[in-house]
Amino acid sequence: STDMLMSSEKEEDSDVIPEDSSLLTLRIRKKALDRREEKIIVDRACRQETLTYEMESHATGKRPDNPTDLIEEGELLLTLNIFYPVIFQKHKDHKPYQTVLVLGSQKLTELRDSISCVSDLQIGGEFSCQPDQAPEHISKDLYKSAFFYFEGIFYNDKRYPECRDLSRIIIEWSESHDRGYENLQSAKMEDYVFNDLSLKIGFPYLYCHQGNCEHIIIITDIRLIHHDDCLDRNLYPLLVKKHWLCTRKCFVCKMYTARWVTNRDSLAPEDPCFFCDVCFRMLHYDAEGNKLGEFLAYPYVDPGIFN
Amino acid sequence: MSGVPGLKEDFEELLGAFQQADTVRFERFAELWRERRFHTIFYGRIRALERNKLTKKTLDLAQQYFFPPYSFQIRVGALYLLYGLYNAQLCQPKQKIRIALKDWPEIQKFQLDLLDSQHYDAAYIFRRLRLARAFHFTAMPKLLTYRTKKKIEENYFKEEFKDPSNRVNSLITNDVLEELMNIHDHYQKMKCVISADKSQPDKALSLIKDDFVVSLKDITLEHQEWQQNRMELLRNSKVTNETEDKKKEEIFLQSEGSERANALARIKYKSYSAVVEVSKSRRHRQVQLESSESGSGCGKSPSRSKKASRRPQPARRGSSEVRGEMQVAKETVTQHIGMPVIIEEDSDE
Repeated sequence: STDMLMSSEKEEDSDVIPEDSSLLTLRIRKKALDRREEKIIVDRACRQETLTYEMESHATGKRPDNPTDLIEEGELLLTLNIFYPVIFQKHKDHKPYQTVLVLGSQKLTELRDSISCVSDLQIGGEFSCQPDQAPEHISKDLYKSAFFYFEGIFYNDKRYPECRDLSRIIIEWSESHDRGYENLQSAKMEDYVFNDLSLKIGFPYLYCHQGNCEHIIIITDIRLIHHDDCLDRNLYPLLVKKHWLCTRKCFVCKMYTARWVTNRDSLAPEDPCFFCDVCFRMLHYDAEGNKLGEFLAYPYVDPGIFN
Repeated sequence: MSGVPGLKEDFEELLGAFQQADTVRFERFAELWRERRFHTIFYGRIRALERNKLTKKTLDLAQQYFFPPYSFQIRVGALYLLYGLYNAQLCQPKQKIRIALKDWPEIQKFQLDLLDSQHYDAAYIFRRLRLARAFHFTAMPKLLTYRTKKKIEENYFKEEFKDPSNRVNSLITNDVLEELMNIHDHYQKMKCVISADKSQPDKALSLIKDDFVVSLKDITLEHQEWQQNRMELLRNSKVTNETEDKKKEEIFLQSEGSERANALARIKYKSYSAVVEVSKSRRHRQVQLESSESGSGCGKSPSRSKKASRRPQPARRGSSEVRGEMQVAKETVTQHIGMPVIIEEDSDE
């Protein structure tokens, strides 16, 4: 039989819903559109929507320059939702998350490296007396340990000598008394790829780093790779959806993102108070760089830094 | 996932018309499609992000009709529907049809059936979809989403689309009958062997009817015929009902006081009056329907839903409820058709 009997024969504008449609779906949709027209509701894509759409579709159809990077048929594609650790009260009903696409043949360590969490960038220490000497080392470099928990096995990152087995203490705890958990095991993250794991879809798993920063990971979909997907291996793990966090601005100028936070500050109206670098120095230090007033100052990294 | 309002009704209407036409030819389906100008279902000034979501949901709903327990004709109709929707969609690159791993053997069996019964147009359509790479091979049929559902939507199958659940047939299959035949023969032979006269079993040993396997087969065939007649009657009564006055129907329906009808009507009422989640920006628009089980979450949910799904207007609900009750009435009507009486002796009418 013939095909292409479906498409319209004459030129039709796909934005216009035909007047006399017998389809219920269209009648309902038309009512909604008409109501919007009546009430003069402006219907444009806000920048959030543009961002979401871009992220979702920016990598579709991409092919690598180097043919060895081409993904083969039969490769599995997993969709993971990685939730942010709870920071804000307003998120308690719907936890924000980012969605990452991962190949079955990729190692767990590759996923670990791709997760960007603000706690990795924290700089520890109080620097009110020496603001210029805020160290370069961020927490990511100092505390390299991390683990994934999938189906009863802790996969610890052991690539560097500084990495410790964070899961050891949990395993000891569960073995100390009969707490009803079947024996939990420990393994090395860098030895495993996703194809080796047995996973449940929709079941919450854990990613823990920095000792106490925990992210829940849920796998939402597993499917075979498709011709229309991005076939460049180097682009995976691919971020397709990300929650937009508003950055906190400086209290003084309300323009720049906050880089310092002060506590017990006699010069500031609230505790804690956020400042950008320029305003911070102008308020708290005189021309010679002497400290004015009493305060404690810490370098601040805003969670919205990854926007 | 919140559904697309009105989509299910449109699908059921199209598939119903296809079933009425009593054929599996693609030309017939294409005529029905063109009559309704179904390709316009994606029109309406929808932006890219929402269009992707909408198309995904549309294809997901359509593919549900492709699997058992729906009857063969409906499944072929669903295949044509998927083909039409896949080609009519406006998304670029095209959204794909998700098929779970566990469903593939079903589909392959279906394809073999099509080839055996020489429905080459349907097989060709399927092949074209495969060649166009229209399928995503997934582990799970439904893509997971994490919205707090106000109500778990019951997947309400249209009764008429389903194959009559032929429990008798699934028990007494051809294989079973064959095996029974073999065992019966063997049994007869054993009886002959142990009895005095080698060619015939002893009279004392005749404990069962000799030709019971044949009579069993006849009985199951009769049952199947009865069931088909019942389905025909159901369909015919629906056709006659639709031509009558709506008012008369309502009175007729209300006079049926069957308990089952009431229970079914209650379930349908519940499923049509579910609460909708309204996004923050549309908070001033109240929810149209009040539902008894919505509780405190009615109308002002704090979720950041990007798409405000609208439920059908009350007027529409009225008409579809009448339709629903009409179906209920038919169930009660058919209950008056009694089972054919099976006589003791194994002689047929």
